[in-house]
Amino acid sequence: MALAQTSALLISLGLASLGTISGSSRAGAEGSATIVSPPTAAAPAPGGEASEAVDVSLSPECRVPGSKLYTLARLSSVKAALKEKRPVRVLAIGSSSAGAGASATYPVKLETALERSLPNVDVEVESRGMQGEIASGAAERLRSMVAEVEPDLVVWQVGTHDALARVDLDAFASVLDETVQWIKSHEIDVVLVNPVYTASLAQDEYYSSIVRKVQEVALREGVPLVQRYEAMRYLSGSSDKGEAHMLGRQFRLNDLGLRCMAEHVTRAITLSLLQPDPSATGTATAPSVIVAPPKDAAVKPPSPPRSGGASLQEQP
Amino acid sequence: MREPNAIDFWRGLALVTIYVNHIPGNTFERYTYSQYGISDAAELFVFLAGWSIGIATRGRDGQPEPRLKSVLRLLSRTIEVYRAQITTMAIALAMIAGTALILDNPLLLEWHNAGGFFADPIQTTIGFVALTHQLGFFNILPLYVVLLGIAPIFILIARVSRIAALVLSFGLYSASLVFEWNLPSWPGEGDWFFDPLCWQLLLVLGFVAQDLNQRSGTLRRWSQRLMPLGVVIVVLGIVLSVFDLRPDPLLVPDPRLVFSFDKTYLSPARLIHFIGVLLAFQGVYALIVPHIGAIGRYLAGLGRNSLAVFSIGSLLSLAAQLVRFWTGGGLLVDVGAMGFGLFALGFTAWFVEWRSRKPRLS
Repeated sequence: MALAQTSALLISLGLASLGTISGSSRAGAEGSATIVSPPTAAAPAPGGEASEAVDVSLSPECRVPGSKLYTLARLSSVKAALKEKRPVRVLAIGSSSAGAGASATYPVKLETALERSLPNVDVEVESRGMQGEIASGAAERLRSMVAEVEPDLVVWQVGTHDALARVDLDAFASVLDETVQWIKSHEIDVVLVNPVYTASLAQDEYYSSIVRKVQEVALREGVPLVQRYEAMRYLSGSSDKGEAHMLGRQFRLNDLGLRCMAEHVTRAITLSLLQPDPSATGTATAPSVIVAPPKDAAVKPPSPPRSGGASLQEQP
Repeated sequence: MREPNAIDFWRGLALVTIYVNHIPGNTFERYTYSQYGISDAAELFVFLAGWSIGIATRGRDGQPEPRLKSVLRLLSRTIEVYRAQITTMAIALAMIAGTALILDNPLLLEWHNAGGFFADPIQTTIGFVALTHQLGFFNILPLYVVLLGIAPIFILIARVSRIAALVLSFGLYSASLVFEWNLPSWPGEGDWFFDPLCWQLLLVLGFVAQDLNQRSGTLRRWSQRLMPLGVVIVVLGIVLSVFDLRPDPLLVPDPRLVFSFDKTYLSPARLIHFIGVLLAFQGVYALIVPHIGAIGRYLAGLGRNSLAVFSIGSLLSLAAQLVRFWTGGGLLVDVGAMGFGLFALGFTAWFVEWRSRKPRLS
């Protein structure tokens, strides 16, 4: 049954190239002119207990409805790397956990998850912790890191340090805008990941504003966003154990939390790769979609994409 | 206790600047000179450390002390700085963990690289003791430990030939820039925030400059002549930082670190700017000290006790960050943090000197 649901979901996504699945997430839709297309094919019958289907390609304990999880946009540099059949270089910035030397950490999990989703593709994930606030100087260091690694894709977990320093919201947003523009101007793709959800900050106006600023920038700059905040809030609400589910007894981000994040990021990337290329015209071939069992959802980038979908997903 | 002097005064100013700049987002940040130039207080701090080594390894008569004594003196200082780093890091981690527990807020555990320690304690404990795992804002002392550790090599060479020491130092600096040599972070990918292989140049420059300065008047004469050039560089630095003009690290020619403004590798632009600052401000202390009275004595007091003041300052700026987060910040909190911080830094300096004067209690 799970398999059938996955196929239905993936096929619906692939055939229609539905594009931006933003939407019902309350903040994500703000200021966006994108078409909201929840994966209705996989949704339960009306009157079911959930208003929207969770994304069953994810591990059971990480399942979140697509609209809570991501907004999508094109990733042309990664696509180009795939076309040229060269390894995809990913720079993961701002991950809290350690990389090489430590056992099973977020960068390792991300690499594993990406390679599982993109069969026959070599993915190289480099990770860098980033010190400092992007509103005061750290954006400059990010540029150095990007220049050093020269990746195809930057997965940027952003906002935590700025939120902790309570920097000026507009300064934060404008530096984030500039930095994303800078990365894109060098033909490097960006995926933004907004900060974690935690119950003690659910009522914190300032913190929600930082989360919202990241969403606004992602929409404005037309880059995919992983709504880590919404996803974690959903998961903490759906579990009896509440937040402990993601954060462990000592409420740190445990193994599960990091694995879910890696899966969520991977999902956003693979679905973004299905976004049609605006430059491509004509051919009505449907993107080839390989349906794999749950957990191993394998999605191949589309060969010449279908033009029909293009009008739906143009970013504002 | 030595009389207030220019070196201690400027080092005191660097310490206050570092304290303010380590509370990001605070109101007073924009009034520090770091916002108006390409280099900042870190350069000043390391250069003056080199200068102080020059003073410390020479007797009152200006004659160098025996070699073995200098080496042991530097070793002893290295141990002191290492001890300070381990102590402040341990306290900082406890402050972060404690605040996270009190506020029931796991987000705080992700504070500037602390996450690794809480998520991966087995590996990170090793990195913590080996100085390869550094918290944000707590990365100057590890640099200092390495610099003091390798200082005897340069100092012994400089006893034979200052030129040879400079050539070796500059050669290591250039090679590190071109080949991007740095010490690795572990666990976790990436490198040290301050690359000791590059920053050693400032320490050696400080040491050699002090040596030349006390031997003859040539250096002093030349730096006075070059003062206008220093002023031009400082003005240029102000213009570049106010208008946020800097090279794009992906567009500069290779080797890119030579042309970008990179703090980790002490890019040439930062070095040139810092030398400009030195030239421009060389005579300022003598000009202003008669007019600033207690402020001069206060800053010189901080500079005399720089390690203790720096360590307490690091913890206080972390505390101020946590308080700003807790309360939501605002001008009142910033004024409070600044007032209390400046008082506590002054008290630290006074207390260290009081302790060394008083007979031990037990």
